[in-house]
Amino acid sequence: MTSFQRGQLERIRLHVLPTNRFKTFAISLFAGVPLDEKNVTPVALIPFVLRRGTAKTPETIAFREKLDDMYGAGFGFDVYKRGDSQIVQFRMDVINDRFVSSNQSLLAASLGFLGDVLTDPCLEGNGFRAKYVEAEKATLRKRLEAIVNDKIRFAAERCIEEMCADEPYRLHPLGKLDEIDGIQPDALYRSYEDWLQNAALDLYVVGDTTLEEVTKLFRESFRLKPGTPASYTRPQLKHDARETKFVVDKMDVSQGKLNMGLRTGIGYDDKLYPAALMYNGILGGYPHSKLFINVREKESLAYYAASRLDGHKGICTIQSGIEFANYDKAVEIIKAQLESMKAGQLSDLEMSQTKAMISGHLRELQDSAYEMLSYDFNSVLTGNNRTSAELLEQVQAVTPADIVEVAKHVQLDTVYFLRDRKEA
Amino acid sequence: METLQYPNVQETLYREVLDNGLEVIVLPKEGFQKTYATFSTKYGSVDNVFAVGVEEPKRVPDGIAHFLEHKMFEEPEGDIFAVFASQGASANAYTTFDRTVYLFSATEQIHANLETLINFVQNPYFTDANVNKEKGIIEQEINMYRDNADWRVYFGLIDALYHTHPVHIDIAGTVESIYQIDKETLYRCYETFYHPSNMLLFVVGGVDAEEVFRLVRSNQAAKSFKPQGEIKRYFDSEPVNVKIPRKVVELPVSLPKCMLGFKEKRVGLEGEALLRHEVTSKLMLDALIGPSSKLYQSLYEQNLISDSFGSEYNSSRDYAFSVLGGDTPDPDALIQGLRDGIAEAIRNGIDSESFERSKRKKIGGYLRMLNSPESIAGEFTRYRFRDSDMFDVLKCYEACTLDEVNNRLREHFDFEQLAVSIVEKSKPGE
Repeated sequence: MTSFQRGQLERIRLHVLPTNRFKTFAISLFAGVPLDEKNVTPVALIPFVLRRGTAKTPETIAFREKLDDMYGAGFGFDVYKRGDSQIVQFRMDVINDRFVSSNQSLLAASLGFLGDVLTDPCLEGNGFRAKYVEAEKATLRKRLEAIVNDKIRFAAERCIEEMCADEPYRLHPLGKLDEIDGIQPDALYRSYEDWLQNAALDLYVVGDTTLEEVTKLFRESFRLKPGTPASYTRPQLKHDARETKFVVDKMDVSQGKLNMGLRTGIGYDDKLYPAALMYNGILGGYPHSKLFINVREKESLAYYAASRLDGHKGICTIQSGIEFANYDKAVEIIKAQLESMKAGQLSDLEMSQTKAMISGHLRELQDSAYEMLSYDFNSVLTGNNRTSAELLEQVQAVTPADIVEVAKHVQLDTVYFLRDRKEA
Repeated sequence: METLQYPNVQETLYREVLDNGLEVIVLPKEGFQKTYATFSTKYGSVDNVFAVGVEEPKRVPDGIAHFLEHKMFEEPEGDIFAVFASQGASANAYTTFDRTVYLFSATEQIHANLETLINFVQNPYFTDANVNKEKGIIEQEINMYRDNADWRVYFGLIDALYHTHPVHIDIAGTVESIYQIDKETLYRCYETFYHPSNMLLFVVGGVDAEEVFRLVRSNQAAKSFKPQGEIKRYFDSEPVNVKIPRKVVELPVSLPKCMLGFKEKRVGLEGEALLRHEVTSKLMLDALIGPSSKLYQSLYEQNLISDSFGSEYNSSRDYAFSVLGGDTPDPDALIQGLRDGIAEAIRNGIDSESFERSKRKKIGGYLRMLNSPESIAGEFTRYRFRDSDMFDVLKCYEACTLDEVNNRLREHFDFEQLAVSIVEKSKPGE
């Protein structure tokens, strides 16, 4: 298995994995800044405006046509939180030229395209093109308003918002609704320049290429100001224990959504991280886990009942969809599972099943270019260079005592319930 | 064992139909850690009236194919998820209109996992108690979808398009219909549709084809299946016109959702003809209303659509329709904008540049799909159950002409065949 080749050019780190296993080149550019009340909304808006056009191709139709002409190159972006950072990830995937009769290098065309998007945007006067800024403000507003449409996601995000009410992590990565209106094209352009000048920048390419080729193409395509790469700041993982906070929201829904937020205080580079993965796996990561068995299979209370670990923020969350009347019963059953974890009620079968599942997942990463580069990006975020093979070994070595140690750190912080408007 | 070479995509497929009728396909992927296997029956939510051989046709409760899928995971010795977990495999299943698919993905103990997959699907275990227990779980699944606005607008549209064809019935059925399901009916459906001759096993990933065939052959040789007559599926005759031109529901959403569907007047295509029809229709929709089309950009600039807007084309032998739509602040203005754009395209036709661009884009998308074992297995099975070959899709895109696309456009878009489904914002306190 070959590994990532690393380079550095001005403010950006380059990571290239040469492989001919895929029919495509997978490209990702990560730009991260600390989550911050003041900047979160303009930073979220920037990629929306950048994807409307570039100085060379200002019209959106021509801009999209360029992508179609590269055999329908995939182009998109996400804005999300990792730890206490707000990260914009641009993604491109384009097919390897050997499968089509193309007269251009599709990798060169893609990096040229991405370079223009990030460093040569469509401007007018002292700012971005006003028409695009207005349209994308409307798009961003709609995206934020639409969170409520997916009740499962809405409940999960409300739970985190309540749980982290006094930390930057409460902020939504897409920013704040009431700050969108006030953003002007010239001020947004200044935010963009600051962002590009300060963000931690990482470019990943996975495919049939080399660091040398990517370095050359990058030099031709990106116009970054001189400087040295920025690094990510450590997130706040520890939090004072407090009485569990109970929150209820009411809405016209058919099914109640029960969410719980747990503090683990265990981050990605903590030596207990492999044990935290096991804790989450046994509690609610899989169909053989305690939550699925006890909430769904034994009591028929729910269709889904699961837990998820956020290792970058040291949080574990639980989610389930239940009938309104079953709230007390479901909370009681879930709390009993947390207690049984603490009491070390971990069978050999639960240990071996969960180890097998996590190991399978870690091995599968190798089959997807995006999974590989996302995993590798964890090392940029945390400074911990543990490979997936090393993590796999550490997971295999986890003992029940390690999991009980994790359970001792776990605090039930918040219980959130989304229910109907009728009185209980 | 038959070897099928597809040099234009650098893939090789191995195929064999066993004595009991089971079709097995293996696609080795060199360098892949993971193996992904699907075991599928050509049995979905639309198969609600059927008979085998000389039997009398019988109607079964809505949602039973999906109910059966849930129940297959239970064996006398317990839940089969636990067995897969002990062997390091993630298992799952899903039910669509026309098939039920059981699957696992794993990086080790591939042979043990394959045996488990085949054996649990070929070993039904239904009791009154375990059937009743499942009703509460599926009721919560149905309620979860009731709160899902995207699901409601989409299935609302299909319900508006079709009078009698069971494609308009929710795949999971209704809370009322699932409470009518009992173990006897489950066994009857099982025995009809889970005969090996109605099933396909697809294995893709880091495997040796010959080893997989040896394992499956010996597994099947140790079991006996009665020969089965032809399965006959019955559908009430479907009127040509749409059932409800405009269907509206209210839910707590931030923006209304609006979908337009055009129902085909003529159906009945099969095999390669159906594949060509689908490819031409998809190309046509992309050139007309894909993200780089003039129509898309104009609607986006008028703030009538957002990134949520999309289009798709669904077809089978008995039903076929397009779907266009997404979130919009003003459903009526979006409907009008789409009607005007479509009418203009019918008058002027799609130009050759847009056509060539969409074609390249579709070819690129198809090749990208081949990176994903999950997509390959899912798509291959979908096409195979309609007697066509997924690996012919590339050829079809390459052969498709501008004239065909313009003919398809003019044939497909008939405003008499339009139905609209809308999810309006509910007002708080009502």
